[in-house]
Amino acid sequence: MLNLRYFVIFLSLLVGLILMILPLPEPVQVYRPHWVALILIYWNMALPDRVGPWIAFIIGIIVDTSQGTLIGQHALALVIIIYINQNFHQRIRVMSLVQQAIYVFGLLVISQVIIVWVEGIMGRPPPILAFFGAPFVGMLIWPWVFIMLRDIRRKASIN
Amino acid sequence: MNQLHPREQNTSIRTLFLVSLCVVLMFVDQRFNHLEVVRSNISLVLAPLRYLVSLPVITVDWANEWLSSHTDILNENVVLKADGRILNARLQKMQVLQAENTRLRNMLGSSRKLADQVIVAELLSVDQNPYRQLIEINKGTNDGVALGHAVIDDFGIMGQVIHVNQYTSTTILISDPEHAIPVQFIRSGTRSVAFGNGSVDQLELRYLPATADIEVGDELVTSGLGGRFPADYPVAKVISIAKDLTRGFVTVLAKPLARLDSSREVLVVKPNNGITPE
Repeated sequence: MLNLRYFVIFLSLLVGLILMILPLPEPVQVYRPHWVALILIYWNMALPDRVGPWIAFIIGIIVDTSQGTLIGQHALALVIIIYINQNFHQRIRVMSLVQQAIYVFGLLVISQVIIVWVEGIMGRPPPILAFFGAPFVGMLIWPWVFIMLRDIRRKASIN
Repeated sequence: MNQLHPREQNTSIRTLFLVSLCVVLMFVDQRFNHLEVVRSNISLVLAPLRYLVSLPVITVDWANEWLSSHTDILNENVVLKADGRILNARLQKMQVLQAENTRLRNMLGSSRKLADQVIVAELLSVDQNPYRQLIEINKGTNDGVALGHAVIDDFGIMGQVIHVNQYTSTTILISDPEHAIPVQFIRSGTRSVAFGNGSVDQLELRYLPATADIEVGDELVTSGLGGRFPADYPVAKVISIAKDLTRGFVTVLAKPLARLDSSREVLVVKPNNGITPE
């Protein structure tokens, strides 16, 4: 079932992209979690051979276009966190959801640091709240993302 | 277990390659225009997503129209008709003035045309990057939108088009920290440049001499210098003047007249051929 597998992964990433361009009221915007990163982390954790740095790179470029950032900015962040995740995935899989969430917070902060760093190089002052706000919300929703995607993966029997 | 090592090494090399590729891409994107093609093609693919995302708003608008009662519509109709009459009357006056103006300009030998061509567009989505102030609109090259066109709403200048594909385009708002617009005070005629500072209701005018004739409430219009924005469109109104005695300059804050965060219908203005240097 090669096609179904890729279709499901593709669809979940598409939903992530939609969630990232969905209009939100101005004050809440900085707290928007990096949905695409969460979904990529899950798929990389579950299927490290299929979803790796290359897919992270391509999705990153798409996110960059949709967010109006420099081409390569989100891609760089995603490639690096997926690389880290790939090296740890076996240990993370057996952790409890809470431990996983804390680990994911770490990854999201790394990705945030890279994005803000690039913004900083270009001379745009980053708002402080956006810095830890979004990864924190990401940490809180990780268990739900994990459970939902796991169920989807089992239903579709993607291994 | 032996199999694990070559794969991991492989991933490292791949990652290293991709990381350098990202850095190169960012560099190229920052300095040159070559990646505009990539951007425009990917955003073309994303256009359906943007429509999908704006669907709830469109549906609510449509439902409101559908469900508004007969009397409401009648009342609105009366108001609109009255408005229409007033506007028509003004337009008549305008036409006379415009004709007169054109005649006078012709007499002066000026080639500047008065009527700007406009394209009506709708807001699709607001870019979610908290460091930028960008909006997506639903008109692209197919409708005649091109890079650099000014975008306005009913109250004043909103921004200019910075990326465009066949069906949608991205507009940078005048409040974006990377944006600056040449302006002129209506009352005193002083010229300046208004910088965005990242908040939707503020523009900054830096380095104005302390002796400049500026008052709170002064209105700013585009000066048309630089050729990007058509001249004489309203931009902002001065809300505060900060004099710094240690330096010879004043920093003026102005509030944009356009409703940058709430306008859904916008107009794209094609610059006049007579005054654009490009």
